[in-house]
Amino acid sequence: MSTDPRRAGFLATLRAVLWSFIGVRKRRDYHDDAASLDPRAIVVAGVLAGVVFVLVLVGVVNWVLP
Amino acid sequence: MTTLTHDPIDTASGHSHAHGPTGLMRWITTTNHKDIGTMYMIFSFIMFLSGGVMALTIRAELFQPGLQVVEPEFFNQLTTMHGLVMVFGAIMPAFVGFANWMVPLMIGASDMAFARMNNWSFWLLPPAAILLLGSFFVPGGATAAGWTLYAPLSVQMGMGMDLAIFAIHIMGISSIMGAINIVVTILNMRAPGMTMMKMPLFCWTWLITAYLLIAVMPVLAGAVTMILTDRHFGTSFFNAAGGGDPVMYQHIFWFFGHPEVYIMILPAFGIVSQIIPTFARKPLFGYASMVYATASIAILSFVVWAHHMFTTGMPAAGQLFFMYATMLIAVPTGVKVFNWVATMWRGSMTFESPMLWATGFIFVFTMGGFTGLICAIAPIDIQVQDTYYVVAHFHYVLVAGSLFALFAGAYYWLPKWTGHMPNEFLGKLHFWCSIVFFNITFFPMHFLGLAGMPRRIPDYALQFADFNALATIGAFGFGLSQLIFLVVVVKCVRGGEKAEAQSWEGAEGLEWTVPSPAPHHTFEDAPVFKG
Ligand code: HEM
Ligand SMILES: [Cu+2]
Repeated sequence: MSTDPRRAGFLATLRAVLWSFIGVRKRRDYHDDAASLDPRAIVVAGVLAGVVFVLVLVGVVNWVLP
Repeated sequence: MTTLTHDPIDTASGHSHAHGPTGLMRWITTTNHKDIGTMYMIFSFIMFLSGGVMALTIRAELFQPGLQVVEPEFFNQLTTMHGLVMVFGAIMPAFVGFANWMVPLMIGASDMAFARMNNWSFWLLPPAAILLLGSFFVPGGATAAGWTLYAPLSVQMGMGMDLAIFAIHIMGISSIMGAINIVVTILNMRAPGMTMMKMPLFCWTWLITAYLLIAVMPVLAGAVTMILTDRHFGTSFFNAAGGGDPVMYQHIFWFFGHPEVYIMILPAFGIVSQIIPTFARKPLFGYASMVYATASIAILSFVVWAHHMFTTGMPAAGQLFFMYATMLIAVPTGVKVFNWVATMWRGSMTFESPMLWATGFIFVFTMGGFTGLICAIAPIDIQVQDTYYVVAHFHYVLVAGSLFALFAGAYYWLPKWTGHMPNEFLGKLHFWCSIVFFNITFFPMHFLGLAGMPRRIPDYALQFADFNALATIGAFGFGLSQLIFLVVVVKCVRGGEKAEAQSWEGAEGLEWTVPSPAPHHTFEDAPVFKG
């Protein structure tokens, strides 16, 4: 609840979500996230990234299979 | 948030000043989060002992090859009911009990958001337990379809199956209401200054778990309802003769089931993440990573369910997909283990009972994580599926994971609950007996599984005899060791060394700012959190 939350862009949100899939995040980046990310955007980005994750895996699977 | 003035907190007597009914009615009508939390925990401990008796009967039968103790039909009822009772009766309600007690204290709220619904969530559980346990005494006995209730067996069972279905419905409703309560409490009732990213990790893990519960309990309810209508109302969802598909049941069940295993482990991660920093006297390493990792585990847990079904006949593409996905989801889990170890690194550590349990948790849970990875490799799993190897895996993560974390948390917060420090000697004895007997019981099961001993059978071939005898000895040792915990708790309630408000030297957080035992009403005026 900072006074002037500058809103993060879509890419920043996505970057935070992607880092979360590995489960690592630099302290400073995380402080930036905490100040600037919109929770709703995170949820949307998270679900999107989940879908992309599935699609990439499907792609990989189809690629390794003859 | 209200700013009503309130009676001064009654700390002198160490006793709460409950308003309203006393005696039994106090517990039946209570809307107090601490009372309800206590009831959840007592309930789950009773269920833990009931499930334990079933487990020991199973192990007694398996002590030697041949049939000695129980009939095979009854044996199957025991394995099924042991699983159902432990999962839905012991582990899940115990964590909800912790949430009830600790979430309001940790975020500086006066109670849970929906206090009356909270009462109802709890009081649904005893009827469900009666249905479940009572099913042993109906014609045909309890359900023997395995805790996963696979069709077509579950469609064929006697009326014990119907009772189990209704019990699951009721426990599911209870879980969903509990989860809604936790979500709303955490999102809306935090003290001023307690931003989301300053919340104790236990609250974070429970928030995410609550979402998982809301998402998947209806799926389980749907699955068992379909069984119910297949049984009695002429549908054939899972009956191939009527155009249905029994394998579809497995998909639906595991779409619930895999997130369910995370429901049982994420709050455990939360508890351990509270305890390690306290006794390492260092802040949690990588708090944000922990939050992120928990969230991603939750999301990804929805796309791995078919790793339970590698042997049901699946195209190679499916096997590869679920194998890759499962192995990738182990990454954020592994990161958590690294974070705990890094928190301990160069900390000034002491090993009081809570810390002992928490470190024991890390050690043994990690072994369960690794065997999970091995099960995730499809070609290997086709060998070990439905063998004792899987039994070993899930007991390492559930007993040495969830249960050990529950004990860690109980020793950690008992001073806050009772006002007395738990007996250190008994706490340590409980830990060492548990971890030694646990490994004596379950480690040999890896070998049994690799050698091909199937799970859920009352009799076995001669070559498995030695490891089974060993496992049975371990199991009885483990079961008896749990009585030490009962003694610790009773002693702690009765008296003992008085606990300070901040009961452990390195403990931080709002829950340690209120007296021990926590008075009946806390934080009626929201505290200001500076963290
Ligand atoms: C590193 C993380 C994990 C991985 C990779 C993993 C993987 C697996 C796999 C592949 C199976 C299926 C084995 C088979 O049936 O052949 C399995 C079974 C199981 N896992 Fe895990 N698991 C992990 C963590 C957990 C956790 C944290 C829990 C619970 C707290 C858990 C509970 C279970 C249960 C209960 C079963 C057996 C269900 C049944 O068939 O009755 N697992 N796991
Ligand atoms: Cu799974």
